[in-house]
Amino acid sequence: MGGSDLFTGSLDLIILKSLTWGPLHGYAIGRWIRLSTKEGLTVREGALYPALHRLEAKGYLDDEWGMTETNREAKFYRLTAAGRKHLNKEIARWRDYSRIMTAALAASKTGA
Amino acid sequence: MRRTVRIDTKNRSAKDVEREIALHLELRAREFEAEGMTPEAARAAALEAFGNRGEIDLEVKVIAERNLHRRRSREWVAEFRQDLRVGLRMLRRSRAFAVVAILTLGLGIGANTAIFSVLRSVILRPLPYANPEQLVQVWTDHRGLGRPEPEWLSPADFADLRDGNKTFSAMAAFGGFAPDLTGAGDPESLTGMSVSGNFFSMLGTTPALGRLFLPADDDANAPQVVVLSDALWNRRFGSDRSIIGRQITLSGNPWTVIGVLPPTFRAPIQAFTPEIFRPLRRPSNSPCGRGCVTMRAIGRLKPGVSLGAAQADLGVIYARLATQYPQTNSKVGSWLIPLHEQLTGSSRAAIFTLAVAVGLVLLIGCVNLANLLLVRGATRAREIGVRSALGASRERLIRQLLTETALLALIGGGIGLMVGIAGSRVLATLVPEEVRRVQVIGIDGTVLLFTLVITGLSAALFGVIPSLQSVRTSMSTAVRGGREGASRAGVNARSALVVTQLAMAVMLLVGAGLLIRSFMKMQRVDLGYRAAGIASVGVTFPGVRYANPLAIQTAMDNLLTRLRADPAIRTAEITDLPVLSIGGDQDIAPVPLGEPNNANIPPSLWIRSVTPGYLKAMNMRLIAGRQLEATDIQSTGLVGILNEEAAERYFPGKSALGRILKRGPAPNAPLLTVVGIVANGRADGPNQPYKPEIFVPIPQRPARGVVVILEPSRDMPAATRAFGRALKEVDPLLPVSTPRMIEESIATAVALPRLYATLVAIFAAAALLLAALGVYGVMAYVVTQRQREIGVRMALGAEPSGIRRMILGQGGTLAATGLLVGVGASMLMGQLLSKLLFGVTPFDAPTLIAVPAVLGMATIIASWLPARRAMRMDPVAVIRQD
Repeated sequence: MGGSDLFTGSLDLIILKSLTWGPLHGYAIGRWIRLSTKEGLTVREGALYPALHRLEAKGYLDDEWGMTETNREAKFYRLTAAGRKHLNKEIARWRDYSRIMTAALAASKTGA
Repeated sequence: MRRTVRIDTKNRSAKDVEREIALHLELRAREFEAEGMTPEAARAAALEAFGNRGEIDLEVKVIAERNLHRRRSREWVAEFRQDLRVGLRMLRRSRAFAVVAILTLGLGIGANTAIFSVLRSVILRPLPYANPEQLVQVWTDHRGLGRPEPEWLSPADFADLRDGNKTFSAMAAFGGFAPDLTGAGDPESLTGMSVSGNFFSMLGTTPALGRLFLPADDDANAPQVVVLSDALWNRRFGSDRSIIGRQITLSGNPWTVIGVLPPTFRAPIQAFTPEIFRPLRRPSNSPCGRGCVTMRAIGRLKPGVSLGAAQADLGVIYARLATQYPQTNSKVGSWLIPLHEQLTGSSRAAIFTLAVAVGLVLLIGCVNLANLLLVRGATRAREIGVRSALGASRERLIRQLLTETALLALIGGGIGLMVGIAGSRVLATLVPEEVRRVQVIGIDGTVLLFTLVITGLSAALFGVIPSLQSVRTSMSTAVRGGREGASRAGVNARSALVVTQLAMAVMLLVGAGLLIRSFMKMQRVDLGYRAAGIASVGVTFPGVRYANPLAIQTAMDNLLTRLRADPAIRTAEITDLPVLSIGGDQDIAPVPLGEPNNANIPPSLWIRSVTPGYLKAMNMRLIAGRQLEATDIQSTGLVGILNEEAAERYFPGKSALGRILKRGPAPNAPLLTVVGIVANGRADGPNQPYKPEIFVPIPQRPARGVVVILEPSRDMPAATRAFGRALKEVDPLLPVSTPRMIEESIATAVALPRLYATLVAIFAAAALLLAALGVYGVMAYVVTQRQREIGVRMALGAEPSGIRRMILGQGGTLAATGLLVGVGASMLMGQLLSKLLFGVTPFDAPTLIAVPAVLGMATIIASWLPARRAMRMDPVAVIRQD
């Protein structure tokens, strides 16, 4: 995951996003992040797990043991209602922030 | 238990974390392998990409464990809310049961809380003195001489005890003090105490103002000083701080005020609120000698000294005195009573009895609820069976049932607390003054804690056992469907509960029966004197203005003449010691001349100085001889009238009339001729024994403090006004007290026994009702259980009366067993009651006959209803049912 550093809270946001299509186990979440960010993140893969358990503690995720498609026992994470609500709020916030930053950084001397 | 659970949890969540990470690494390695790496290289790459495995492992484990706990408690709360919902629904559905349970608990817990609030403040709270557990009252033991009560001390004996003991750190003496306060305002008779110089320091009392007494104040030549109570300082001196050092006039003499006590001070003496204190100054060489017990004493034990050790220590001193002064001190000993016990007195027994009584009622109530729950458990067996079949764990089911119990207990306990607060207020007004003493009766933290604890215990008692039982039986059998879910063992458990209930009800019934019989005996007692329509009022002639007996005699004659002349008063007489008064004088060891020395001779004789018409005015029956006459005066020979008790004991088997009694063992003691014999009277109250008494003419034994006996012609207020007028005419400086009806004093003496009897009777009635309900419940259940058997029997031709006999017989067995156990237990409890009984023993035959009769009747009624139902069953319907 070479490339740029993460802004605080971005990993949480990406994890929540990865689960919007249904429950995934930890490895699958990591894979989705690698693919969706085009391997653009420098974070270690292991950092995923503390983040997952922390999101669970906040009540955004729920877990359940189940079977993978290759018939392996794995822990699946699922978005809770609170998690979905939080994700939507964070996405909106992120968009605002990114739009404002983009506009500011692209602005000319006069601010136009 | 809890610890193992924690370790388990930790292990499980940690293992989960390891599995999760291992899976990640494995899948990631496979991905690298798919890209063409060797397995070893792929594993290394996966690890490399993962980062610091050990660190992450640890971090995740910590979070995971916390998560698991949080989830557990969330689940628990959710389950609890579910239990609560189900519980409330169950209670709503069986409303009758809920109401019965809540009322039983509410009233039971309420009554216990109220009684405990009294117990707490009267018995459990320490006395308001420094290290109160070290304080003991020191009495003289005259039981060797046949005087059963503890008695006061003579100044000489006290001095020997105080100076010779090794076990006390201090010993203080006190006596009475009743001065008239004159000066500013109306003259007033004060109630006071004379106390030794170390009295206040021994109790640990500090002054609110000025100083208290020192040992130096006990010197005969020290200045006359007094200490005031806070109440007197307020009432008579307007809380004026300049009172210290000022002189006040007491019975005509000047006294200097040196200190004021704090408002919290209470004198260590029952039924007595002294307002003024003077130094005792009683010389140990009083002319009255060692036989003359004129003061009381309190000692403080050295730290760690036991009552027994102190008793033995003083016993050594008394043994020495007995050889030194055989005349006065043989067979005399010391009698120590812890001050706390001394001050709470007989109320202790009463309060403990009441506490036991309410405790039993609550127990019986709880047993009833347990029985009801057992029955409900049987009817709910199917529900529980289904739930357990659907996968509810045993703990889960028990928790559900316990939540329902806790719900009942909480509501019941809440109501109980309210009932208790109200009950405590009522009791506080009923509890006698002497008991209310120092402490305010009310609800405090300890009482609240008590309520909480008994609520918990009740819940445990009536809830836990049935819950366990119903879960045990139902899970195995209920699904199979039958009513027979609760087995024979269930019936046995229930029968045992009912026997316990009956036994406890018997104990209460016996207690109530004995107390009621005591009270009835008291009511029927022949007092031996007239109490109705007669009032008494005290007058004291102070030494300053009435220097000699003649002056007093003149004033008394003057007063009586005026009173008798007043149309508002029919009779007026004077005595120095009226009936129902505390204290009085005794002649020590009078000698009947010409009688052989016999063991039955009373060691002392109570003396009452009276005016000639006194016995007639009091309706005391003269059995032989003559009344006292106006001609029996100082200059004529000493005469007296003995009561029967004294006459029979001094002159056994012959007429005492005309015989001579020497007033004391001294060779030159005065001789007195017995001129009459009067019937016995219960001078100390209807529940007190007769005492040997002698009535002597007041001119021959003058007294400074006397009591005027008045019989009003019409009404008491008019007589009271007449008395005030007459006394003002005789001496305007004498304080006028309000006459008090003698009947009222008797009512007061009987009020307590009546209160105890009433309360215990109420509790016993409640117990009987509850126990009968218990019997009914079990018998009804038995009939339901044996329905099929009864049906078969009837189908085979059994007579209905035979069925009834069978059911009644089973009820009768329960009653008989309960009765047997209960009577046995009552005998053991008799010890507690014996102090409250009058004229009956704990083995009182009428009570022991009446109780089984009442209980038997209640049991028959309680089992007859189910028996009737059994008889009316249609055998065919019953047999078909299952």
